[in-house]
Amino acid sequence: MTTQPDMGLIENILQFIGVFVSFSIAYVAYRGVRQTESSSLLRLATAFIFLGFGFLIEGVVGLGNFVALPVSTTVVVVGGLLLETTGYFFLAFSHVVDVMISKRLGVALLVFPVITLSGTQLADILSILSFYFVLYGVVETVYSYARTRKPDTLLIAMGLSLIGVGTFFQWLSLLYQYVGVLSLLQIILQEMGLLILFTPVLSFAAGGAKVNGPV
Amino acid sequence: MAQYRTQARIIADVLITAKDNNTEGNGVGVTTLLRKGNMSYARFSKLLSELVGSGLLVELDGDKISKYMISQKGIQFLNAYDAFEDFAQSFGLRL
Repeated sequence: MTTQPDMGLIENILQFIGVFVSFSIAYVAYRGVRQTESSSLLRLATAFIFLGFGFLIEGVVGLGNFVALPVSTTVVVVGGLLLETTGYFFLAFSHVVDVMISKRLGVALLVFPVITLSGTQLADILSILSFYFVLYGVVETVYSYARTRKPDTLLIAMGLSLIGVGTFFQWLSLLYQYVGVLSLLQIILQEMGLLILFTPVLSFAAGGAKVNGPV
Repeated sequence: MAQYRTQARIIADVLITAKDNNTEGNGVGVTTLLRKGNMSYARFSKLLSELVGSGLLVELDGDKISKYMISQKGIQFLNAYDAFEDFAQSFGLRL
């Protein structure tokens, strides 16, 4: 069986691309926090720091195929998923606070997933929670696009949608572990979504904004 | 519905006013800045001192009243603010 290690290697590379993209977004957001003291950017930076570490841990799990890990794979997987879910929570939370400030709407969607949880395993619960958090982020981003008509916002909504579908496949891959393609499909969708989220970072870098620290 | 303004947004508003209203290069009066800044006089006076102190605004001594002009550092701040606002808006967020 030569295809299995190759697939593992591809998954690994994709995970580490995810780490790079997440930390890049977190870095730009953090620079924004230092310059403007914006709480929205602080939450965004926090979200992507958690996501970055989540992907990093999942990447390390992937490395487990090639090198020995000091702890059990299950513990590492749950740890990675926990970080990822926390990241998605902060992503959704950014919108919740933003909406509460402006219109005081939308909290109901966040309550919804808590009462519909039916998973028995922690990993399943985290995956489906991630899915609902991302879904909420998509709804709010589309709503924001309707307000601003900014093409980049629509692009981010598309990126988040791909990540959302990816997390759904992640949940399916945990339920049907014998279907190996689900896991690869999940990573490809999430990476495509993350690469789309990288667009504002590129725009920011192209703009060449000069930042000299806090005012 | 009135929108909540962060401190950075207020600073940006004052700097934009100082930049846009300085058409003749003589600076902008306190009254204009205060009107566009949309806040109480006490709060505005404190903010004005901070902006001059941090070098974002330059105070020009006139015959009777002081006038204010945006500095190079202030223009840099506005450029950075615009870039980060654009970045935040891409994610559907307000700065």
